[in-house]
Amino acid sequence: MTLRATIVGAGGLGGPISLGLARTGIELTIIDPDVVELSNLHRQIQFTAVDLGAPKAARLAGSVVAHGGVARGIVADWTLARADEISGDADLIIDASDDPETKFAVADWAVANGRRYVIAAALRYGGNVMAGAPGVACYRCLFEEPAEVPSCADAGVLGPVVGAIGSVAAAIALGLVHGDRTYAGALLAFDDLRKVAEPRVVRYAPRPGCPACARAPISPLAAPPVRVAEGN
Amino acid sequence: MPSIRIPSALRTFTKGAADIEITATTVRDALSELERLHPGIGARLMTDGTVKPFIRIFVGADDIGELGGLDAKVSERDEISIIPAIAGGSGA
Ligand SMILES: [Zn+2]
Repeated sequence: MTLRATIVGAGGLGGPISLGLARTGIELTIIDPDVVELSNLHRQIQFTAVDLGAPKAARLAGSVVAHGGVARGIVADWTLARADEISGDADLIIDASDDPETKFAVADWAVANGRRYVIAAALRYGGNVMAGAPGVACYRCLFEEPAEVPSCADAGVLGPVVGAIGSVAAAIALGLVHGDRTYAGALLAFDDLRKVAEPRVVRYAPRPGCPACARAPISPLAAPPVRVAEGN
Repeated sequence: MPSIRIPSALRTFTKGAADIEITATTVRDALSELERLHPGIGARLMTDGTVKPFIRIFVGADDIGELGGLDAKVSERDEISIIPAIAGGSGA
């Protein structure tokens, strides 16, 4: 059976995640509304000067295909309104966006639909990777709501750091999608990769009254993704 | 003595220091001692005596939610970690 994944964001994290998963047999849907800008090139190593002005999602999907993978790019925002249409057939969804609201939306949708998911973020010299799956505490159990969250648009992030965090996210996603629950319900926190390469791995309990978990399917097993016509 | 691991986003308050040693027996005491040593950091972590919703605090690998919340005990060799939600990674 073909496994499918949605990657939300085709930038600094989405690049290494998508290319990392390119040859794993997983069909990728990459979604991002933006075009490649000059200021992206130093840390979005999947792009070069010839990509300037082109949509990131389409160019990154093209790179995945050039590496022998299967991918489609969608030039749009991933929103809850379109989530079923874009990710309904996905076994796994990865947030590689720069937007706190999107991270919560991706996690909430994944929990409500019984999908596995990975939420990745990088800032300055470190980052976080959270792995979610049915039956464990969710992203909203961990961080209740988006607020006052610094993003790299205002704080910056080092090129090699997004590459490293993205690669970790891809590896964990690959494990999760094949049923490995080693990190399900855990957060890997990389504080400062210049000093310490190892993450702190922390686990947390479901938050009582978590509104996202309240919408999760009763079954502790993953709900099967909705298959649209095979071979499209 | 116990130490507090400061996330990089809050190290402007600690003059860049990543680990702050602290004399305290509970997480609550540790955080008020941290604020006394580095004024201003407390307001980034707490509102009205509770930890902000987008910040989690761990003693070792354990969420304080399972250890009694802010009353969680800390001992000599414990490391308290402050982990904020972060975004970042895709945009400009
Ligand atoms: Zn939850």
